[in-house]
Amino acid sequence: MRCGFLCVLLFVFAGPSVAADFEHLARQPRWQALLHINPGATLRDRHRSYVDDDAFFLAADGAGDPLAELRATYDALRPAESPERCRFPARYRFLAEHLNWSDPVPFEHCAEYQEWRGAVHAKRAVLVFPAAYLNSPSSMFGHTLMRLDQGDDGAVWLSWAINFGAVTTEDDNSLFYIYRGLAGGYPGRFNLVPYVQKIQQYSNMESRDIWEYTLELDQSQIDWLIDHLWELKDINFDYYFFDENCSFRLLELVEVARPGSGLLDELRFAELPVNTVRALDQRGLVRERDYRPSKEVELQALSDRLSEDERALARRLADNPQLADQPLFTDYPRSRQALMARTAYRYVRFVNRKAARSDDVAGRSFALLTLMNRLPEVTATAAPTKAPPEVGHGSQMLAASAGQRGGDDFGEFTYRLTYHDLLDNRRGFLDGAQIQGLGVTLRSTESQAAELERLDLVSIRSLTPRDRFSKPLSWYVEGGLERTWAGRRRLARYVQGGAGGSWRFGALQPYLLASVRAENNSDFAPLVTTGGGGEAGILYDAGRWQWQLASAGHYFTNDVYRHRSRLAVQYALGQQHGVRALIEREGWRGDGDTEFKVQWRWYYD
Amino acid sequence: MKKYFLAAALLGASFSAHAVAPGGPGCGWGNLVFEGKSGMPVHLLATIVNGTSGNATFGMTSGTNGCDTNGSLTYSGESLLSMNGVLEEVAQDMATGDGEALTALSVSIGVPSQERAHFNTVMRENFSTIFSHQDVSAGEVMQNITAVMQRDQKLAQYI
Repeated sequence: MRCGFLCVLLFVFAGPSVAADFEHLARQPRWQALLHINPGATLRDRHRSYVDDDAFFLAADGAGDPLAELRATYDALRPAESPERCRFPARYRFLAEHLNWSDPVPFEHCAEYQEWRGAVHAKRAVLVFPAAYLNSPSSMFGHTLMRLDQGDDGAVWLSWAINFGAVTTEDDNSLFYIYRGLAGGYPGRFNLVPYVQKIQQYSNMESRDIWEYTLELDQSQIDWLIDHLWELKDINFDYYFFDENCSFRLLELVEVARPGSGLLDELRFAELPVNTVRALDQRGLVRERDYRPSKEVELQALSDRLSEDERALARRLADNPQLADQPLFTDYPRSRQALMARTAYRYVRFVNRKAARSDDVAGRSFALLTLMNRLPEVTATAAPTKAPPEVGHGSQMLAASAGQRGGDDFGEFTYRLTYHDLLDNRRGFLDGAQIQGLGVTLRSTESQAAELERLDLVSIRSLTPRDRFSKPLSWYVEGGLERTWAGRRRLARYVQGGAGGSWRFGALQPYLLASVRAENNSDFAPLVTTGGGGEAGILYDAGRWQWQLASAGHYFTNDVYRHRSRLAVQYALGQQHGVRALIEREGWRGDGDTEFKVQWRWYYD
Repeated sequence: MKKYFLAAALLGASFSAHAVAPGGPGCGWGNLVFEGKSGMPVHLLATIVNGTSGNATFGMTSGTNGCDTNGSLTYSGESLLSMNGVLEEVAQDMATGDGEALTALSVSIGVPSQERAHFNTVMRENFSTIFSHQDVSAGEVMQNITAVMQRDQKLAQYI
């Protein structure tokens, strides 16, 4: 009651100047950022708040009216000991700074906030980007989170991680789960977890490389961010996989720390984590970049330092640490023994990282650790270097091609929403990984106007080489529409996928996959015709030149046989352009067509 | 005295971590060398929406999501060792005398940066005392670390 009276009193006395002030304040970038008002970055909820939670607003229409929310916030936060101050410390700071409130201890009554704020403090904010990893298509876009470092450079294990994710329920089955994730059926929330958990998850479990970008934020800006983070505790946002996702929300946080940085000015259709990094980089918000190799990369680097004999022995040592006492092992110089022991240990940990604990594995691990401890230190070598993801080619692509098929000239136009195929410039991307979504190709010939040549809904390939220490499965899945032979060339709707193995010999990477295909076209009698077959191919990585020779064939249940072979090469012209040449032979029982084409590919965004 | 209390807190935390198997469903990061069991990782699909299951964790109010068995006192380091997977990394770093996990441990114990190299050397030399067997628990490890530090002229003061 006293509070209400005081507020009214203040308001009356302050009169018109405060009213004008309010309008001015409500337009401030930081106020807009604190309310998560959409400045036009996405089509949903333009000029309204992204927050989907009544608990976040003090005014009835706070989500749509920043001025009303400002007034309500003013009324609520003005009285000393107001409980709302404990929920909105950043808003308080905003009002106090602009209206010259001078309460020396504004949060004295907020025990919970004070305790939290005492534990969560930071000298440095870092954007963390766990890059794609093979065998997980959903990860291929990467992910981003933010890390708050308490200061000591070497002690990032003690840092906090700010993560934005959908809050799901455990009993959802996976298909429904994915659907809801894409369609915005889950609320999204910020959470704050020890960073060490994230290292465990990304670097160890999933074996993802992690890129870390120290942000150009000073202490005061970082404090804004942390104060505001508290306001987001248990607050629901919408979560949309494509645009309003983890990366997008982190940009909103940076916007709170440094309002007016323009991070959210451009309209986007989809927010890829790599574009988030680019956006920050282009606006001068990245101070420094670090690379944290995955456990698998580290194992590979250790293995590369061994000779073939040593590698074989390290592999045996992993299964049987007692070998360490035999001359077979002890005849090697101690520095080599140390390298083998470490490789063996890392191997045991790596292959068992997802299995339940067993006495056998724990025993061998422990024996190898003890061995490592006895042997001299392994001299460190420079960490493996990789091109960071943000120097990779743009995620969208336009392409124009000209070619000939069976004596007919044609011209083609292609658009691909996302992201990368095996011949695109590898720089900044994961070797042997392909993920394409929504690609459309239109073709016109001398005799015919443009028509749909193919529509890729999705095409994912994961070709991970097998070696002594790692035996991953290679696989692919794709589906969409394509022109193919069925009595004549027709548009077929198809889904196909396969699995097999891939190996690496220097710059050559052969692969072999068994595959199945389901197809619907206007010639085949059954609604869906299925077929089985295989694919063999080889990739040759020569830097700017990327080569592929591949052949795939399917035999269908209606006795149709079809195969397709191709030789393709792409030359990378800088980051955003490439020229591709392709010769392809499509054959069926008794006949076939040959096609060749040259294509200009332009990547952007 | 304060440091001693801190070590005791660490011990207590590790006991509680034992009572509740580290990592709840969907939270086990793999086969640990030491301590505990881990659930089958069900989070692979979760990557797609970067999902958190059930209660979102939020720093001090955590402890509600099986991952973080000892919410509030965590993280200035007391219960670092009892966090899932950390003991294993500490063991590896200790065996070789270097690494981020060991750095985090020394910072959380309160060893200043100028003594860190010495701390690392002492830990390496005493690896087999500290990790005395393959079923050693986080609590025992902390006890052993404390004992080793007490015997060391320079490190005793940080206990």
